[in-house]
Amino acid sequence: MRQHVMRQICGGEAPLAQRGQPWHHAPGMTDLAPLDEMVDGAGGVRPHWGGLLGALGALGRGELAHRAALLDRHFLEEGATSLLPGGADAPAWRCDPVPLVLPPAEFDVLAAGLAQRAALLEAVLQDVYGPQTLLAEGALPPALVYANPAFLRSCRAPEGRREGPLLQLYAADLLRAPDGQWHVLADRTAGPTGLAHVLENRRALTRTLPELLRARELRRHGPFFDLWQDSLQRLAPPAAAGRNPGVAMLTPGHSSPRWWEHVILSRRLSCALVEAGDLTVRDGALFLKTLRGLQPVDVLLRRMDGRRMDPLEADQSPLHGVAGLLEAVRGGRLRIVNDPGAGFAEAPGLAAFLPGLAPRLLGEPLRLAGARTLWLGDPAARDLALAELGRWMVRRAVDGTVRSITAGALPEAARAELAQRILAAPEEWAVSERLPASVAPCVGTGGLEPRPIMLRLFLLQDGQGWQALQGGLARGLAMPDPGTGARPCMPFSKDVWVPLEDPAAIQGPGQLTIRALPIRRATGDIPSRVADNFFWLGRYLERLESGARLLRATAARLATTSPNPRELAELRSLAACLVRADLLEPETARQIGTLPVTAALLRAVRERWRMQGLLNQVSRLAGLLRDRLTGEMHLALNRGLRQLTEEFDAIPAGREEARGLEALGHACAGVLAFAATVAGLAAENMVRGGGRLFLDLGRRVERAQAIAAELARALDQPGAAGQPARLEPGLSLALELRDSVITYRSRYLTVLQPAPVLDLVLADEGNPRGLAFQLLAARDMLADLEGDRASPLALLAEALLEEARAMVREVAEAPSQAGAALGLLPRLAAMEGEVATLSDRITRRWFALLPAPHSLGPAPALRLRGAA
Amino acid sequence: MIYRVRHTTRYAYGGTVDLAAHMLHLRPRDLPFQRVISAAVTTQPGASHRRDGLDHFGNPVTWLFIEAPHAGFEVTAEAEVEVRFPDPPAAGATLPWERVAALARAGGPGAWQAAEYRFDSPMCPALPEAGAYAAGSFPPGRPVLAGLLDLNARIRADFQFRAGVTDLSTPIAEVLRRREGVCQDFTHLMISGLRALGLPARYSSGYIRTRPPPGQERRRGADQSHAWVGAWLGPEQAWVDLDPTNGVVVRDEHVLLGWGRDYGDISPVRGVMLGGGDHGLWIGVDLEPIREEAATGR
Repeated sequence: MRQHVMRQICGGEAPLAQRGQPWHHAPGMTDLAPLDEMVDGAGGVRPHWGGLLGALGALGRGELAHRAALLDRHFLEEGATSLLPGGADAPAWRCDPVPLVLPPAEFDVLAAGLAQRAALLEAVLQDVYGPQTLLAEGALPPALVYANPAFLRSCRAPEGRREGPLLQLYAADLLRAPDGQWHVLADRTAGPTGLAHVLENRRALTRTLPELLRARELRRHGPFFDLWQDSLQRLAPPAAAGRNPGVAMLTPGHSSPRWWEHVILSRRLSCALVEAGDLTVRDGALFLKTLRGLQPVDVLLRRMDGRRMDPLEADQSPLHGVAGLLEAVRGGRLRIVNDPGAGFAEAPGLAAFLPGLAPRLLGEPLRLAGARTLWLGDPAARDLALAELGRWMVRRAVDGTVRSITAGALPEAARAELAQRILAAPEEWAVSERLPASVAPCVGTGGLEPRPIMLRLFLLQDGQGWQALQGGLARGLAMPDPGTGARPCMPFSKDVWVPLEDPAAIQGPGQLTIRALPIRRATGDIPSRVADNFFWLGRYLERLESGARLLRATAARLATTSPNPRELAELRSLAACLVRADLLEPETARQIGTLPVTAALLRAVRERWRMQGLLNQVSRLAGLLRDRLTGEMHLALNRGLRQLTEEFDAIPAGREEARGLEALGHACAGVLAFAATVAGLAAENMVRGGGRLFLDLGRRVERAQAIAAELARALDQPGAAGQPARLEPGLSLALELRDSVITYRSRYLTVLQPAPVLDLVLADEGNPRGLAFQLLAARDMLADLEGDRASPLALLAEALLEEARAMVREVAEAPSQAGAALGLLPRLAAMEGEVATLSDRITRRWFALLPAPHSLGPAPALRLRGAA
Repeated sequence: MIYRVRHTTRYAYGGTVDLAAHMLHLRPRDLPFQRVISAAVTTQPGASHRRDGLDHFGNPVTWLFIEAPHAGFEVTAEAEVEVRFPDPPAAGATLPWERVAALARAGGPGAWQAAEYRFDSPMCPALPEAGAYAAGSFPPGRPVLAGLLDLNARIRADFQFRAGVTDLSTPIAEVLRRREGVCQDFTHLMISGLRALGLPARYSSGYIRTRPPPGQERRRGADQSHAWVGAWLGPEQAWVDLDPTNGVVVRDEHVLLGWGRDYGDISPVRGVMLGGGDHGLWIGVDLEPIREEAATGR
């Protein structure tokens, strides 16, 4: 019968349906066959699947497989894949083309049941973090509270109640048992994940399978996220009255496996995405360090472990967070949602007490059944579980993040050992009834296959009550063992559809109370950390480019078999420049002039290779700025860096000097082309101001420094004071390194004289490779940033510009230009130092770069990574 | 007994500290047997933000934040307290220790708060070795206080008091192996052993009176912070304080600041600073008896 149905769907092609994985059979409830979401007991298609199946059938099997591949590619390109735990090796995030359809009436029952459950968990949290009456009266065992690592003592208000909701977002993992009922398996209260995937699944499906969405109108996700955004604003404490509340999402950062989700969510909610290092507590309130100074943060959307948020009060060896964060909460200056201590309610053992707590705390019985759960600290429950351990999923009582054990799937000896462990400390364990998950149709290798699935639904506290996201996330289960509810380790996900029952109604969730929204303004302030990263990205890009220029010039000269004295002089200067750029050891540089130069230099360059180091730095900074770079920019950077690294790695070692030099020259040319592409993209692709400004500023500062330093080394020709002709190699090298040979020739033909050369290198404001251009640009940007042409930093840049002009003027007016040029050496060194000072002052002024925080007390001398 | 306490902690930083956050447990806890006549915490430099409140355990705590650059930090706590710990019940009249453990496990009225102190804590897990050591004092059916007094005396006898051989990061297992340490080590050891037996035990932080050698004057600032064990006797008889470092029952020579699961919950001064480099530390404690009560019989 089932196969008949499947054939109808997929256009009558050969047998398509395959049975899902075999179940592990155990006596009792688990013996029942899993329920099929699409097909009823009599083999007919459930009515709410009708329209969808028609649309799928019209596509045909081949087309469906093609669309499935398109969906996979969408997630690969979005970068959702590499962000799952385990890095690149982790399985890709996949969205099955066939959504899970839930009838509206059924969904509403679930939503109402979960709303009640969320309210109950909130009440439990309020008690545990307040008066602890449930403990005092014996309604909760101490072991479930005091041994729970997510019970944060520093979040408790021992003298009264905590203010405001501790839960704002709640998610539940459910599965449908053979009796047709949905059962809650796990509660997610710390900071439920998966909402970005809900958004992306729907977006990707809309794009790749528009036919499906035309078949049926659905309840929309939008209102949930709008309401969330609105609720965050309204959570702001009274202290924020009279201004636009500051809302920020706190992420562990780019190394977090959930970084992708944080980027997507913060964009959808229009809030700043910040890391602990971006924040500081001053005078009992929380601030974001931005370029415009400290901006108040009133509401913090927590996306990091609540235990690591405040190093001042965390249990032992705290390495993360913002010191004083909890004090800001205590003082009523800040709201954190979900509360740092909210993870407490995820304890699997707590579920055993919810049916008893509901009447007590809410005055009504639990509406939605959870999977039957026992806490084994109760001797009767322990005996019951141990009598038939194979029937149960065994879980740690207070830690919902540990995978559950399907005792029935264990070999005899392992099961006996588990029983011993339980007996040794029964209160540390809980068991839940094993329920066979329902199956839903999925695209498999042989067409549509029924596979077991679990459902995650999301609810939001909007200040009035709990509102459900009109949809959700269904996840395929490799085995019917969904106990931990952890997001990864899943072969595929599904979009969840709740059809609109009355297409005339524009929007489904009528329960949303529409009230006047406060005005929101995307402030566009960039955190200092981001500006800092852009500044250094600019500096490293420039360093990479100028390194390539030096190496290319060196390689070209080494290619000639026996260099003449002029080339030797240039090589000496180049070697000095390479030493300064940290691309060559001083040892080797000193050997220039004694033969064989080529071998020594090439060997040194190869052995002490630092270009890959620079490529790595650029790549690291580009990664940190992933959320700030456009897709195109990110792609260009990534592709270019990968290719260049390969090219440098492939430069032949050993005795093939000629080939080595050629490959080196080629790789350097590649770097120069790459740098030009990135600069062009930045100019064409990035919004002026903010990040781009700091990228530019970093480039200008780095280049100005290199110009002064390299010119000094080029002019430093022994004996030039007596014989001006000896300065010539230096002058021509100076032009070559500034890419200004052609410009010079077009102006002065072939006669090389110090003053015209120096003018082009130092004072010509129109030469983008010259010093004046860099200083002028830096001055204007610094003035822009401060909104003041006379700001100290702009004035410093102006003074340096004046000095550059003065140097050229003096050489031009001197009776002996060569002598005067040589006299510039100390002034050029001073210029190099002054530009470094300018860079330091920019760093101090804008990036608030403070020394690393550390701690006193229980963990002395411990270096803390967070911020105070 | 009425005492005047003066406890100064001074940090000299290697460089300028731009921003500092501190959490202080330096004000004595007010209790039926300890009347806090006065208590004040002052700092140099002064705080830009400060709050005095209670922590989860009910101890007085001070949070303070310094936002001006400073090269050193000095905090002085001064208090006057009248203290007389209650006399412990007759050891034979206390519950069998297994019964006390069962009551703590059950929780509920009379036992729920004590139950917190029988679980592992970050610095003081229930170590099997410590449990084996403690078990020597708790044969089946022994009244809990009899066992506690025995354990208290055994630690005094078996372990050498020696400063400088251990620090805060020394694990309990190593203290057990070395058979030496300071009050913190002995306190953690005893708590760990009691927890391994299922008995609630807590870490008490405070001061102890020191007596000058015969014929000499009291030296100011020579006293020290002290730590000892609070052990639970059951819902009726509640807590008894035992000092394993000195092998005594706490009566009127100790002043209590507060208690927690281990040192980490109740450390007198902790902080997070931006900048400062390495720091030097000086601590001076002065515990001066200012009136002996006739009632104490001394």
